[in-house]
This record gives sequence, C-alpha cells and structure tokens, in this order.
Amino acid sequence: MSILKFDHLSKRLQGSSENQPLFSNVSAVIDEPERIALLAPSGQGKSTLLRILSLLDCADEGDILLNNVSFREWQPLHWRMKAMYVAQQAVMLPGSVEDNLRIASRLHRTVFDNDYARKLMADVGLHELDWCKPSADLSGGEKQRVALVRSLLLYPDLLLLDEITASLDPHSKVAVEVMLAELHEKQGTTYIWVTHDLEQARSVSNRVWFMGEGTLLEDAPTGEFFRSPQSEAARRFLSLADREEGEKCQA
Amino acid sequence: MSGLALTFTLIFVFITVLVSMRQKLGLEKDIMIGTIRAAVQLLLVGYVLQFVFRTENLFLIIFIIVMMIAVAAWNAGQRGSGLRGIRWRIALSIGATEALIMLLLLGLGIIEPASQYIIPISGMSIGNAMVVAGLFLNGMKQDVLASKGEIEALLALGANARQAIQQCLKRAVKASMIPTIDGMKTVGIVQLPGMMTGMIIAGADPLEAVRYQILIVFAFTSSAAVTSIILGLLSYRLWFTKELQLRLQDSR
Ligand SMILES: Nc1ncnc2c1ncn2[C@@H]1O[C@H](COP(=O)(O)OP(=O)(O)OP(=O)(O)O)[C@@H](O)[C@H]1O
Ligand SMILES: [Mg+2]
Repeated sequence: MSILKFDHLSKRLQGSSENQPLFSNVSAVIDEPERIALLAPSGQGKSTLLRILSLLDCADEGDILLNNVSFREWQPLHWRMKAMYVAQQAVMLPGSVEDNLRIASRLHRTVFDNDYARKLMADVGLHELDWCKPSADLSGGEKQRVALVRSLLLYPDLLLLDEITASLDPHSKVAVEVMLAELHEKQGTTYIWVTHDLEQARSVSNRVWFMGEGTLLEDAPTGEFFRSPQSEAARRFLSLADREEGEKCQA
Repeated sequence: MSGLALTFTLIFVFITVLVSMRQKLGLEKDIMIGTIRAAVQLLLVGYVLQFVFRTENLFLIIFIIVMMIAVAAWNAGQRGSGLRGIRWRIALSIGATEALIMLLLLGLGIIEPASQYIIPISGMSIGNAMVVAGLFLNGMKQDVLASKGEIEALLALGANARQAIQQCLKRAVKASMIPTIDGMKTVGIVQLPGMMTGMIIAGADPLEAVRYQILIVFAFTSSAAVTSIILGLLSYRLWFTKELQLRLQDSR
C-alpha cells in the first residue's frame, strides 16, 4: 500500500496562453514514510504542486491517490486533514495565538490537547510566546511557526511544507528541523518539504524531487542527487547555488 | 391632477435635456428613453392597480407579487453574475421574506386583507429586499476576494464550506443591513419617505401617513435581516467548487 501516489499530473495556468503548461507528466510514489525535499528554481510550480496534492488547487489531468484511494472518492476535507498543506505565506486567523492553536479542534469538535500544543510550541522555540497575544501582532517568523503547530495539532500523516523556515533565524530553523525529524521518527509522518536552502535540503531529506523543464525531472536518494545529478537542469541548478554560496562566504 | 397639468411636467424633462445639450453631456437619448419608460411604466401600473383593486382577485394579487419577486431577483442577480443559480436563490429568499411579512401583517391584523394595502406594501418590501440582496452579494464578492488567504488557511485545516466562509458571511450580512438601519435613524429628519409624502399629497392625515410609514420602516429592517440571512444560507456553497476549492469571481 502506498501512502501517496500521483500519476501524470499536469497543470495549465489560468489566463495564460494554452500551449505551455506550468508542468505536465508529473508522477511519483511514496511507499513508506519518507522525508522528501522538493527543489526547483523559483516559479517552476512547487507551491502549485503542493496545493494540488492537498486538493486546494486542481490538476488539469492525472490522478492522485492517498492510501491507495483516488482523490475523487475522498471528501476533500478528510483528505486535507491527512495531507496537510502548510503555506508559504502563513495566514493567521483573527483572534489570539490561542484561538489559532485551537482552530483545528474547534473545526472538528475534538478535544484540544493542551499539553501537546505546549510541547510543540516549545519545540519550535516559542515556549515564551504569550498565547493571549493577538495573532496579527506576531512577527513573520512567529506566524510561520504558529501556523505549523496549528497544522500539526491535527496529526497529519503527510505534511506538505512550503518554505516554512524562510523567515526564521538559524536557531529556530534548526529547532523546526529537529522537531519534524522527530515527528517522522516517532509517528511515521511523511513530509514533502519545499526549500531553497540546499544545506537544509541535504540535512532534512532522504529523497529529493527536482522539478525542471516543466516536469518532475529527478527523483533520487538525497546523497545521490547531490553527488551526481542526472539532468543538465539539475547540474546547473546546483552549480549556480554553489557559486552563490561561495560569493556569500567571500563577502 | 388634470391631464393638462401632467403634460406640463414635461417641462422638467425639457430642462434636463437643455442642460445635457449645453454641457455636452450626451445624455439626451438616455433622458428620452428614461422619460418614455417612466411615463409608460407608471401609467401602466396605475391601470393595473386600478383593475386589481376593483376585482380583488386573490390569484391576480399573487401573480403580481410573484412578478415583482421575479423582476427583483433578476435585477439583484446581476450583482452575483458568475454564481450559477444565484437568481432563483435570491427569488426564494425574497419570497420567504415577503411571505413572512405578509403572514405577520395579515395574521396579526395590522393591515386589512385588501389589495390596496397588500400590493403597495409588498412592492416596497420586495424592493428593499432586492437592494439588500444586491448589497449582500456585492459585499460577499469583495470580502471573499480580500479574505482569500484566510479561507484557504481554513480549508487547508479541513474546514467545510460553511466554516471556511462563516466570517465573510457574517460581515456581508452586516454590511447589507447597515443602510436600512441607518435609514431608520434618520427617517423623517434627513429625508421624507416617498410613501408618506405621497399619502399626504393625496390628502391623507399626516399622522395616519406616519403610522403606515412606521410600519414600513419596521418591516424593512426585519426584511433586510431575513433576506440576507436566508440568501447567505442558500448561496454560501456557490463560492466553492464541488472539490471544495474557492471559486474566485474576478476573472469573469
Ligand atoms: N492563481 C494563479 N493564477 C495564475 N498564475 C499563478 C497562480 N498561482 C501561481 N501562478 C503562477 O504559477 C507559476 C508557479 O507558481 P508557484 O507559486 O507554484 O511557483 P514556486 O515554484 O512555488 O515558486 P517560488 O519558489 O517562488 O515559491 C508562477 O509563474 C506563478 O506566477
Ligand atoms: Mg512557492
């Protein structure tokens, strides 16, 4: 039984000319709990793919199966609770931090696990955050972490993480990485993590998906991908990133 | 008013056309069309009402009310273009509001069960409900667009359509009711309502006219509330696709 499987997904952008799809023929299978890094240059459709995988957007062609059942036979909201999308831009819901943390249990009429929420907040480095604080007043990095915790309180099987550490300081970034590794270890959570930070991709994943030339160009174990990328696009992507890294070090 | 006096009122149209021509507003054609339509429509309504009041036929009354609701729904539906099936939902909510108001007015014996009362009051309350429905749809359109992020965050957390759009609904219902409530606060001071003015001109006792006006104002507030709440309940699902994704209206 596979956790997630998608077949020949393609997506055309609304309003653009019909000939050039954003991506097409995107297929992959996840058979057992894994840690996947999704890499691609900006604008290749990483966010779009994650949104499609959580049914927040629809593909023009192709099928997606969660636990071997096609999305057509799932209730979208049950699917989304299992395949949880954590957005690139964290949106806080009106109210306090606590209101945001409680939202999942309010939506689904379940008991709010206060201890687990406290633990997760501490894990992401927010143990000192006042839960009564209006969520609108949080910093960008705090919002991102509250949004992550808010999602984790639903115990998703599959996390679709869209650059969730983009506005975090190095310390909190590591805290989030450690927490997610632990979730994978203990609860068998799978994640697909979009990141532009190659160092992070290397350390948080055991498998890399690389998107280029309008499709999922490479699907390889992390070590192998970084050692010997198969496609020209991936080689260019990695060498460009290396050069930038070098320039940063020199400066 | 004599027919001759009525003809003299064309002077006002003449003034408007003159202004339009001098200022090169280019509105002459619209003014002429508007003038003819207003005159024909109103005269026609006058004859129809005269006929209805004389015959007092229940089916005729119902027919007229249904027509009014249909026209109102069609009109308000233009605010919701892009939402499939919005027009019959508007018709249903306005119809339910009208039924409720008539039930209360007639059931409690507030007005007599005569077409002379039923039709004008229905007309006004349906007209008001139409404005409210239009305001509600406009408000929803803007609010959903502005709250896209919020709605999607809720959907991502597994919210159903109702939960995801609840806040927008609430705000749009509120926004659609505000003009009616504000109108209630200033009525008689800032503006003299048309109905009351008409009754007074036709020779009714001002106090009697005011009583009917109070009835209308109170009925309007509840009709505003009922219309937009029912319309909200009937229409919230239309903002989503069947895959429970937000459907955005701006492109159409
Ligand atoms: N709702 C939309 N309507 C039209 N075009 C869109 C929409 N959403 C995304 N796009 C376009 O789709 C392309 C891919 O967007 P997407 O956000 O998936 O890229 P990405 O790989 O996540 O990029 P980044 O690394 O910058 O986040 C972009 O060119 C974007 O302009
Ligand atoms: Mg993105």
